[in-house]
Amino acid sequence: MLKVENLHAGYGGAEVLNGVNLEVKAGTVVALIGANGAGKTTTMRAISGMVRPSKGRVLVEDLPVEGLAASRIARLGLAHSPEGRKVFGPLSVEDNLLLGAYRHLPHFLGFRSKAAADLKKVYDLFPRLEERREQLSGTLSGGEQQMLAIGRALMAQPKVVLLDEPSMGLAPVIVQEVFSIIRRLKEAGITLLLVEQFAKSALEVADYAYVMERGKIAVAGTPEELRKDERVLAAYLG
Amino acid sequence: MDTSVIIQIVVSGAFMGLVYALVAYGFQLTFATSKTINFGQGELVMLSAFFSLTLTRLGAPYWLMVPGGLLFGALLGLFVERAAVRLALEQKSEGWILLTIILGLLGFSSAENIWGRDDHPFPTPISSDPIHVVGVDITPLEISVAVGVLGIMGLIELFKRRTLLGKAFEAVSADRDAAELMGISSTRTVMLSYALSGAVAALAGILVAPITTVGPTMASALILKAFSVAVVAGLESGFGVVVVGLFLGGLENLASLYLGSGWREAPGLLLLILALALRPNGIFGKASIRKV
Amino acid sequence: MKRFLLIRGAELVAFLLLAAVPLAVTNPFALGLLTLLAIYGILLIGLDVTVGYLGQVNLAQAAFLGIGAYTAGLLVMKLGVGLLPSLAGAFLLCLVLGSLLALPALRLEGPQFALATLSFLALTTTVLNEWESLTKGAEGLQLNRPPLFDITLNAPGFYWLCLVLLALVWMGMRNLLSSQWGRAFEALRDSPIATDAMGVGTYRHKVIAFAFGSALGGLAGGLYAFNFQYLQPQSFVYELMVILLLGVVLGGRKSLWGACVGAALIVLLPNLLSNRNLFQIFSVIGLVVALGAGTRAWLKKSVRPFQVIAPVAAMGLLALGSFLVSNTEDWRKAIFALMLFAVVVGLPEGLMGWAAGALARLFRVAAAPLPPATDLDLVLPMQALSGHTLLELRDLKRHFGGVKAVDGVSITVRSGHIHGLIGPNGSGKSTAVNVISGLYAPTAGDILLDGKALPRGSLFSVAGAGIARTFQNLQLFGELTALDNVMVALRDTYRTPWPLVLLGLARKEEKQAQAAALALLQLVGLGDQALSKAKDLTYGAQRFLEIARALARKPRLLILDEPAAGLAHPDAVELVKIIKRVHGRGVTMILIEHHMDVVSELCDTVTVLDGGRIIAEGDPEIVKRDPKVVEAYLGAMAAEAPAVDTGASTAPAAA
Repeated sequence: MLKVENLHAGYGGAEVLNGVNLEVKAGTVVALIGANGAGKTTTMRAISGMVRPSKGRVLVEDLPVEGLAASRIARLGLAHSPEGRKVFGPLSVEDNLLLGAYRHLPHFLGFRSKAAADLKKVYDLFPRLEERREQLSGTLSGGEQQMLAIGRALMAQPKVVLLDEPSMGLAPVIVQEVFSIIRRLKEAGITLLLVEQFAKSALEVADYAYVMERGKIAVAGTPEELRKDERVLAAYLG
Repeated sequence: MDTSVIIQIVVSGAFMGLVYALVAYGFQLTFATSKTINFGQGELVMLSAFFSLTLTRLGAPYWLMVPGGLLFGALLGLFVERAAVRLALEQKSEGWILLTIILGLLGFSSAENIWGRDDHPFPTPISSDPIHVVGVDITPLEISVAVGVLGIMGLIELFKRRTLLGKAFEAVSADRDAAELMGISSTRTVMLSYALSGAVAALAGILVAPITTVGPTMASALILKAFSVAVVAGLESGFGVVVVGLFLGGLENLASLYLGSGWREAPGLLLLILALALRPNGIFGKASIRKV
Repeated sequence: MKRFLLIRGAELVAFLLLAAVPLAVTNPFALGLLTLLAIYGILLIGLDVTVGYLGQVNLAQAAFLGIGAYTAGLLVMKLGVGLLPSLAGAFLLCLVLGSLLALPALRLEGPQFALATLSFLALTTTVLNEWESLTKGAEGLQLNRPPLFDITLNAPGFYWLCLVLLALVWMGMRNLLSSQWGRAFEALRDSPIATDAMGVGTYRHKVIAFAFGSALGGLAGGLYAFNFQYLQPQSFVYELMVILLLGVVLGGRKSLWGACVGAALIVLLPNLLSNRNLFQIFSVIGLVVALGAGTRAWLKKSVRPFQVIAPVAAMGLLALGSFLVSNTEDWRKAIFALMLFAVVVGLPEGLMGWAAGALARLFRVAAAPLPPATDLDLVLPMQALSGHTLLELRDLKRHFGGVKAVDGVSITVRSGHIHGLIGPNGSGKSTAVNVISGLYAPTAGDILLDGKALPRGSLFSVAGAGIARTFQNLQLFGELTALDNVMVALRDTYRTPWPLVLLGLARKEEKQAQAAALALLQLVGLGDQALSKAKDLTYGAQRFLEIARALARKPRLLILDEPAAGLAHPDAVELVKIIKRVHGRGVTMILIEHHMDVVSELCDTVTVLDGGRIIAEGDPEIVKRDPKVVEAYLGAMAAEAPAVDTGASTAPAAA
């Protein structure tokens, strides 16, 4: 579904990615783990077009998208829930969700009725969002904002979802909740690329995982294989 | 002085204030999406008024001239966005301030040479014979200003709240990057905001022209007061510009009554500088958070 | 020395040539233009302070020209004041008005600043027009040029006076710009947050710069009044302002030469417009230049297509117009607009900026050698390790909307300790130090330094209290050299009062500052890269430079915000060494870090945050085994990868 080949990218001359290769097959959850500054978030940003890759290819369903504007890539069905959640603070919860479906809803009128089914799915997954549908999203707690960010990504009926550090800044109890949500997404057959600092938990939900170091994929394998890998074990799963 | 005269003067000033509010609203539209405003917006008001005048002279009826003028304003807005704003936005520089000033000057000079330096009357089917309402004289022309200003602002607000495209507009102003990730093109949204802002300015020109007449300098005082209204109210609140616009319109008529007509611009200018000193984000604005 | 002499020599020759003109040319018209050139030179140097150095669009300079002109004129006509005192009066009044305007206007940047200055300009025109009892309004003010010390000045005499004043302004400005002031102006444009955090009051510097530039406008105004001897409010309106901006931008920003070249252009421009043939020639030359420069840039692919097409289109329109339109005078504003548009888009660095680049390639002159580094004991004195409480946070909170980034944190930092602050991404570490260092005001709670309440919500005041910091996302002054970056932050070094700085009497102090900064650069291992621009340093070196810069504050408490983030392995090892060296000098530190092993190795105490609250605190070895930490942080996330190998732990080898 998503394929990345020899991806290079960086900010203002400083290369952060030096040739990343990875693949996410349809219906699987793939985890991307690694140290801070290894380039996980940059990989996500380069895939979704937030950063223009200097070299390499990004294929969404065999369609090359590298170099396109982020909004174009999003319209092709790649939903990126960014680091730091980035909900639209001055807008209500429901408006945030509706905007998530921007790529397939009519832009003027009648969008509400078309979105009803998707909204219901998201509200079933996050009942708390339904309780707060009229509330401005900027006043939600950190955990609720994260749920909104995930819900917003799902509204797009995406082919692939990129989830960047969904547990960031959340209290441990909420982090567990986030992971149980990810498990439910997996059961629902969503194709997911997950960046996480909680490596162990990430490996528990993932079908396959990549370990990044200094802008490259250092190790790759199924969670079982990685858990047997001495170096990964020592470094990330201690 | 007789109180009824003073009230009369404040009320007719307030109608004028609605026009400032409308132009200030145009600043808010572009500021929301791109954090930029068109410093040459006054010239845009003036050029649209001239264009509408030409349409009328060519025989276009009022109901055709108004949309024609709005369309012209929208096109000018798009031109400003393309020529002066987009590059600066891409380079994250503040070159747009200078470039919009320059385009304004170009527009001013073009108008001077195309339509001449003189002021022309602007024909309108709406009467300027006063009607007596609760002790105050109001002309249908003034009512048309109020209806036009509040009408288009209401329409745009309705668009922002009731259509998905309008919500996308608000999403871009809240967080450009996140909006891009939803598939909303920020470039197109900025273009849309400039087109709307241009149309709004054109309407301001059409509404005010029968009162002030049309000439190259018709908007040079108006625009300063629109700036004041935008800064005093803050660049976020549509409700705020209306309140401040009404207030400033009344205030400046009082200033011109008590201090002499040459001083009528002074209150707005002072208010602007004071507002920056006391509430830099405007009375109706929110404080921003610095990030590292 | 060679570079110094070359530049000074060029300046001297230029001024001598200008001074000699009246001896050879007696044409009063030419002399009038030269006088105006000198006056506009002063005006534009003043305008360049805000437009060039502060990088703000300033629309008030025409107003200061007018205020200065009327002040000087009225002083002479109403009070019979002499020539020099009335010029001084114009200068001082504009200095005061400039400060008054700058105090509110410079609190915000960009459009709001431009609007405030635009309002000031309009307000000034209104006052000049309406205060008829004083200014005679639109009718205009007639005045006589007073004698200079009983000498009646004829045209060449007045020209020489203007030229001398221009030379003085030029010299003063150059001395000021090559002192700590000029460095601060440059620095605050690159990162206003960092200048504040380094105790260089961003706002204060901006106000002073603007007021000084406005005062130069006032001085130019005084000369303007005595030159024309007739004043009208219409002379000082928006149109003049646009022309002045054209002068600064076309001449080249941030350059004394540029300001004077710009002045020459705007003096000549009206004459150019009145001669149609000349104008045609110039516009065609302009088109050719735009085409040539555009083609070159196109081939190098260094710019966006718009930057090539737009200037060519503008100049093409100008050239076309010059042949189609007969009344060029009527189209004056459009002509200015097209030229300015082409320059702003296509040649943003201006004529002198472009020429300076070309000259620097032609004459490669070595920079002056650096003095030997000062003894580190003088720059960063040893601090005694007393172990008493230095910093205390009591129930500190900072909320953003519904997000409780810091939610009730109490920490005690002891003098001489390295206090670690760890926790997952977004746990509130950075927000906590941003509150301590004054970037954010706390929502609730107290911060005490040595038992005294620390200023809240002001980077500048907190820096003054003795706290220095580095930034997770680098906040270097990219356009300055590494040495200058450190010199900006030096504390207790610049003592020469500003009048002496203007006279160029601060060179010794400057050398001492260089020596001190060099010592700090050597401490972090950057001694041999002192003259590289900060933005050209490697990423690791930039991180170290931030530490050196913070140390220049002689801090009582140094906050290091994720200094190892993104560092490659060898750099991270070097970082640990640097921190140990700094600690060896008795500097107390708060260290935000992700890597537990770095924290274990360096820190005396560590506080673990999660979700904005403290979940554990104490000795790193004990905290590491704290069940709460293991469960909530280390266990769940399985210890971050030690991308930093400090020798003790085993790093994963890259596959």
